[in-house]
Amino acid sequence: MDRSGLDEMQQSKRNKIGNQCFLLLLYLLLIDGGLYGFGFRWVEYPANIMILLTLCSGIYVVRLIAANAYVGPNKGKDRTAVRTIMTSAAAVLTGLVVVYLLKSVDLVSKAGIDEIAAPVLFITAAVAITVAVTVGVLNRIQTRRED
Amino acid sequence: MLVQQGVMGLGKNLRLKSARAALDMSQKDLADAVGVTRQTINAIENGDYNPTIRLCIKICKVLGKTLNDIFWEEDTYG
Repeated sequence: MDRSGLDEMQQSKRNKIGNQCFLLLLYLLLIDGGLYGFGFRWVEYPANIMILLTLCSGIYVVRLIAANAYVGPNKGKDRTAVRTIMTSAAAVLTGLVVVYLLKSVDLVSKAGIDEIAAPVLFITAAVAITVAVTVGVLNRIQTRRED
Repeated sequence: MLVQQGVMGLGKNLRLKSARAALDMSQKDLADAVGVTRQTINAIENGDYNPTIRLCIKICKVLGKTLNDIFWEEDTYG
């Protein structure tokens, strides 16, 4: 078992899913570039890249959870549930905030996208850090209780 | 000739299941004892996953069996 705490079957699943998502991202970026070459821009840069990255990351996490390769066996039932619920809640929260922010933004113009990129990055990072700290604290409390 | 079960897609590992049942252990009990998830034990029993030799040895030690007892079988085709 490595530092991730996953067992060997989970690691092989994670690697397989990771490779597939990476290739998916590559193909989507190539298609995006190809479409631009033909004179069709579906969303202005850098929103197109952000959308593709977010899509592939989302698919990666969802597939990991579905394949039971997100949390290892050492975490215990409670921690598995806590981590999965916290991640899902963070994903929903981030999604809602981003959608709320994007409502008032002009996604067609480059200026509008540039304006919203920093707040979206800040919110995503803040939510991720909050989730990581909360999960860490809960894990420590549960470990102490088990000892 | 001996062939490793699972490598050639031979199907379920019933000997692992029976050895586990003989000790009155659930899949979860065995999984906890060897440090993997219950789904991994289930996949091994169903022949969906080929464990590494290290995991095979751990399983055999917990069940008090040898590798031959659990993971090897006589080739019925040749």
